Amino acid sequence: MIYYTAAIGLIIIGLYIVLTKRNLIKVIIGLDLFETGIFILLVCAGYIKGGTAPIFSKAKVNPSMMVDPVPQALVLTAIVIGVATLALALSLAIRLYHHYGTLDLRKIKELKW
Amino acid sequence: MVSPILLIAIPLGLTFCIPLFGFISKQIAKFIPVLGMLFNLVVAISLIPQVMEAPFTVSLGGFPVPFGINLVVDPLAVFLAGLIALVGLLISIYATYYIKKGDTQSYHMLYLLLLVGATGIVLTGDIFNLFVFFEILCISSYALVAYNRDKPGIEAGMKYLIQGTVGSGLILIGIALLYGQFGTLNIAHIARYIHSATPLSVFLPMALLITGFGVEAAILPLNAWLPDAHSSAPSSISAILSGIAIKMGVYAVIRIIFTLFGAHSLLHYVLFIGLLTLLVGEFAAFRQKNIKRMLAYSSTGQIGLIIFAFGLASAMGIKGALFQITAHAFAKALLFLAVGYMIYHSGSMEIDSLAGMGKKIPLVSIAFTIGVFSLIGFPPFVGFASKFLIVKATLAQQDLLLTIFLGFVLLATVIEGAYFLKVIQTIYFKNNKEQENQPQHSTSLAVAIPICILMVLIIGIGIYPEMLNKILSSAASMLLDRGGYIRSVLP
Repeated sequence: MIYYTAAIGLIIIGLYIVLTKRNLIKVIIGLDLFETGIFILLVCAGYIKGGTAPIFSKAKVNPSMMVDPVPQALVLTAIVIGVATLALALSLAIRLYHHYGTLDLRKIKELKW
Repeated sequence: MVSPILLIAIPLGLTFCIPLFGFISKQIAKFIPVLGMLFNLVVAISLIPQVMEAPFTVSLGGFPVPFGINLVVDPLAVFLAGLIALVGLLISIYATYYIKKGDTQSYHMLYLLLLVGATGIVLTGDIFNLFVFFEILCISSYALVAYNRDKPGIEAGMKYLIQGTVGSGLILIGIALLYGQFGTLNIAHIARYIHSATPLSVFLPMALLITGFGVEAAILPLNAWLPDAHSSAPSSISAILSGIAIKMGVYAVIRIIFTLFGAHSLLHYVLFIGLLTLLVGEFAAFRQKNIKRMLAYSSTGQIGLIIFAFGLASAMGIKGALFQITAHAFAKALLFLAVGYMIYHSGSMEIDSLAGMGKKIPLVSIAFTIGVFSLIGFPPFVGFASKFLIVKATLAQQDLLLTIFLGFVLLATVIEGAYFLKVIQTIYFKNNKEQENQPQHSTSLAVAIPICILMVLIIGIGIYPEMLNKILSSAASMLLDRGGYIRSVLP
């Protein structure tokens, strides 16, 4: 239960940062926290306390004590995707800084409705 | 028989071979997307006769279906894969001429990657795999929006990235919740057991998934990124984003509602949101001075119409929606390509600067006119056939409320006509003093070929809409037949 609380807490903190902070780098950190929260949520879905890796060649391991490997595979994939997104976000932030000389989102408003 | 896996594998392989080909010659890179999409188009067409008989599944890596990832090859998937390949092919021919500045090699890589993502989305039968392909599509489009590295491009790319990342995070939470409840990721497998769960525990993942995919689909409250991204990207990218990428969001939303959750009670709400999206998009487009922004808002409106037609949830309505997807993909691709070429010559995106283009580059101006006529829905263009089908499907429901809604849809079409015809008037009948003495430009072949093919398609299908009738009917009935989908995947 505590893991789920932590995961959802991280997700909410991340979203709060994305929505309220004015500095672009902080927004990107918020996105990262948001994603990390989701990863923990995913891992929790397959976690068993005191469980072991699901390797069937080992003798005398009770199958009900094996951790579900699928969420871990999902999280690995999602981490790779998250890295790609964050790398792109940071490189765009660098470009943005070159153009505007600031990372304050209130001052970056070339495009309007 | 060609395996449908190749639809994804060959373009993906070619994408990462582009830097290798770069060692031989820098010029090869721009022809690789053409090659990959030509291959996909041929494979998709060759698969059509087979899927019309019976849809089939392909399990990847030889794992049996609920455990491994599977591709579901049904008429809808093959039709959309063919559409992606066709539009992608034409735009990649255009890009061989259009993209000259910057790191062209990475442009072509990202472009092909975007199309791989789109093809994967329509073929996959696994919800996490859907998410992965969706992210491939999204990340490559964030990068492509910012390709020009100018102020608006970077800013729009950043906005798109932040909203898109939050959206895909929501999708992942939805997937985590579904996996926690059902212990499987296969769409058909979840769909089979979804009604055994309590409605409340299913509602949360459904809301998260629809919101997440809705960001890419630009459904009304989630479409703030769209006008910026579509107007600041290079025109060839605007064309592919508008023609293909947002449709993938719509496809995912529809797949989730119809197949995964079977939530038909939600569709009235979907229909209403579609109508709102349509009206807001068209009204916003009306007051734009920038031609690409106008087209971008018009895309929002058209997406609203597509969602409205899906919300009707009758076989004819879905057929109309699929027809509208085709019509909009062709027309908007044509419009963005034509406008891109005009901007290339006038150097400005303001509508006033397009004055006199009718004389200067006649072929492109005619293409623009045909695209606009098709989008508004004049006969004999393809837009007429699709809008007519949607109107017919709405009236067939014999519901007073729907008839009133239909009035609003037609009002939106009138507004669309008003602002687009204003642009056409500027192109043909206003004289631009500076450019009057300039000679006629002959249009480059790499621009003329895709534009002409798109014009022929728009007029050809418009005159003879029966051409797509059979595959669209069977795609629509497959989408409604949830039990059939489950049985075809899990015997």
